[in-house]
Amino acid sequence: MHKSKKETLSEIKRIAREPFLLVSIIVIFYLLIAFVIFPIFQVLKTSVSVDGHLSFANFTQVLTKSYYIRPLINSLVLGIVTATIGTFFGFVFAYAITRTPMKGKRAFRLIATFPMVSPPFVVALACILLFGRAGIFSGFIGNIYGLTGLVIVEVIAYTPTAFLALVGILQAIDPALEEAASDCGASRTKVFKTIILPLSTPGVVSAWLLVFIQSLADFGNPIILSGDFSVLSVQAYLQITGMYDIARGSTLAIMLLVPTVLAFYIQRYLLSKKSYVTLTGKPTSATIKNLEWYIKTPIYFFCIFFAAVVVLFYGMVVWGSFQKLWGVDSTFTLNNYIDMWASGKDYIKDSLIVALIVTPITGVLSIFIAYLSARKEFIGKNLMEISAMLTFAVPGTVVGIGYILAFNSKSFFMPVSLTGTAFIIITLLIFRNLPVGIRNGIAALNQIDPSIEEASIDLGASSSTTFRRVTLPMITPALFSSLANSFVKSMTAISAIIFVVSGKWNLITVAILGYVDNSQYAQAAAMSLLLVGIVVIALGLIRLVTSKMGQGMNYSNLEGEN
Amino acid sequence: MKKLFTAIIIASMLTITPCFSQGTNEGESKKKTLNMYTALDSEEAKYYLDAFEKETGIEVNEVRMSAGEVAARIEAERNNPGASIWFGGSNTDHISAASKGLLEPYKPNTSFELIDILHAPDYEWSGFYTGIIGFCTNTNYLKEHNLEAPTSWADLLKPEFEGEIEMAYPYTSGTAYTTFGTLIELYGLDGALDWWKKFDKNIHQYTKSGTACIARAGLGECAVGIGFSHDILTKGIQNGYPLVMTFPEEGSGYEVGGISLIKGGKETEEAKIFFDWVFTVEAQNLFVKYNRIPVNPDATVAEGAIKLTDINLVNYDAIALGEAKEANVKAWRDTIGK
Repeated sequence: MHKSKKETLSEIKRIAREPFLLVSIIVIFYLLIAFVIFPIFQVLKTSVSVDGHLSFANFTQVLTKSYYIRPLINSLVLGIVTATIGTFFGFVFAYAITRTPMKGKRAFRLIATFPMVSPPFVVALACILLFGRAGIFSGFIGNIYGLTGLVIVEVIAYTPTAFLALVGILQAIDPALEEAASDCGASRTKVFKTIILPLSTPGVVSAWLLVFIQSLADFGNPIILSGDFSVLSVQAYLQITGMYDIARGSTLAIMLLVPTVLAFYIQRYLLSKKSYVTLTGKPTSATIKNLEWYIKTPIYFFCIFFAAVVVLFYGMVVWGSFQKLWGVDSTFTLNNYIDMWASGKDYIKDSLIVALIVTPITGVLSIFIAYLSARKEFIGKNLMEISAMLTFAVPGTVVGIGYILAFNSKSFFMPVSLTGTAFIIITLLIFRNLPVGIRNGIAALNQIDPSIEEASIDLGASSSTTFRRVTLPMITPALFSSLANSFVKSMTAISAIIFVVSGKWNLITVAILGYVDNSQYAQAAAMSLLLVGIVVIALGLIRLVTSKMGQGMNYSNLEGEN
Repeated sequence: MKKLFTAIIIASMLTITPCFSQGTNEGESKKKTLNMYTALDSEEAKYYLDAFEKETGIEVNEVRMSAGEVAARIEAERNNPGASIWFGGSNTDHISAASKGLLEPYKPNTSFELIDILHAPDYEWSGFYTGIIGFCTNTNYLKEHNLEAPTSWADLLKPEFEGEIEMAYPYTSGTAYTTFGTLIELYGLDGALDWWKKFDKNIHQYTKSGTACIARAGLGECAVGIGFSHDILTKGIQNGYPLVMTFPEEGSGYEVGGISLIKGGKETEEAKIFFDWVFTVEAQNLFVKYNRIPVNPDATVAEGAIKLTDINLVNYDAIALGEAKEANVKAWRDTIGK
């Protein structure tokens, strides 16, 4: 889109006429530059400088040492395997939900997406409790410390991501097409091969990439379960916390960043083409026909199996939390909860305070940015969108390192050091959770005809009044799904915040990881359950409020932790 | 409803902006506080700190990290330390940090004379307890496989233990580095690395924290763990895990638990009060619960705890090993490739 000078000029004039808009744009640009661009830039800068000079020595060193190369290869292998299995599982599950008359769809859906509301490493903890040498299925799948164990836990943790992406895609394909094809005599296989598969391919690839990104960025599971199979996110963390080597830690972080960002933009590109969606976009009156038994049975069996595995893993955490000494003495006890409460209540309090501050700010800010980007024209709009979405693609490890580098001392963007304050944790979480909210907001706004807002403006209301009185009430569901996402992510984040917690401000996920690190599995299980409980209650409350307002919250807009 | 949203929008726009000028004000409260990094376990640290808070009324905010992480944190924050005192962790890590100029010298007021191995020449750090490197072995595993618990470094190389031994990375844990340092004292750096190349085959996995392997050996996740005697007693045997503790006959290394002031820390006065308190009989008596060997001669020693005089020890040069830590660790990583 090329604009003439005149148009640009009139654009500036229009913005200047709306001081509220102008000020907000400036403030948002400042925030994005200071808290999104600047930290990532610092990581990049640190990785390419030695003693303050530009140098690629860090990269040449990293790329010649086997103990840096191997984690890179391992991360990619793990990402590819997890993404492939996770996407396949997600597809079968999504197919079952959208295309079969399976009973109890709601329950299946709830179970399949449950791993999203728990901290990612709870699955790894359950895996040790189940399949470790002291576990009840000891030796069942061999050595769990390494690729095998990691693939199992990451598939459980990230299949929901693929599932949710694919449910959307499959729902968008009109069943009438399939009906027409089978009415014309096409077999089931033919319908699947010629209609469903080609129409959903871009969606499948995009789901694959999403899981790949999450697996690559995962920190909680590998730090517990990677054994000798070292991965990049953990190596970057050990390099910094163990070797005091920020330069090479940043270099490893950049190596982690490149494939993730690449995958992210390929995914965005695929989705932006949209050519695969059938015209109406909504399921028509065509009904789901009863399928042959040889199609239904394996699909149902698979869904039951996956749901059973999820229940088994989380059930194990419940059971483990009541044992006196995990693996040695299984007497029933509440002591783990008492111990956990005694040493952990400060962490719980801090986590709640942080989440309660982060949630409303993220919700409002993301909706506001979404509004600007969907409804207003101004210079640098694309830049605003790209930088706001950036933190979604960037692995938490990179963001965490960026924040310590950027805010440890005074800088141009921040007149005071933020290290050790609650503020650094809060800003990190706000800007990490922003992209999901913005995406939900834009999607919601795109469904509302701008002429409604135009009418308000034509009748003399200002831009801000129109936003408050007209737009905002219409996008309430999107706002609330942002709030839910933001709360869940604030309570369960680990990969980035582990770098910025401090004596005064520490979080529950870090405390759980500390328990696991000390092999105090029962206490870890007890605290994990408490955390999951808090999150579920909060989601319930948010849902209650939303349904009171007459509109259902879109649960499927939750995104997995990066 | 509309009014509510108007209020939300306005309130958040108003709060976001002033929010950014805060941050410096935090920590200013009437009650005296002390920010601390500790390498002791949260639970154990809390046990000591509660006693200290009760006695002095100074509130301690502690963050628990491994010794390596503390050192990294202090270095990253050298312009603006987030804590004033570093409590716990092998003195090796304190020495390494001192050589980078990150610590503030302080000679504690003690009722007894600190012997030479218990402080830096210019008191950049002091030692408040001691501990010896030992092996803990799962007794069920020994019975099942009809084996004896290892009693020497050479035993650890036996093929019976292939894939059965766990310890931390020498670059993330003070315990593991002390183990590496012991082998350097015994065989020289090259000899130690040769030994380790064979030893690596018997490693199941390296962990981040130095004490994780004890409970893991107790659980049977591995057969043998290497750690400090006080950790093996407290976290293993006394917890009820089926473990037996042995020591290498060629000679074992020991750690001195370090405490130091962080250079540039803001609560110097409170930090010094804590520093002095740690060496009092009252404080040192608390170590009984966690089997640490006190340095105050008047303090009670835990029953069953091993004393430095009970075991064949190597001549462990903590200062030389601490200063050479970066080079030694690099050599280890280049050789072992992990």
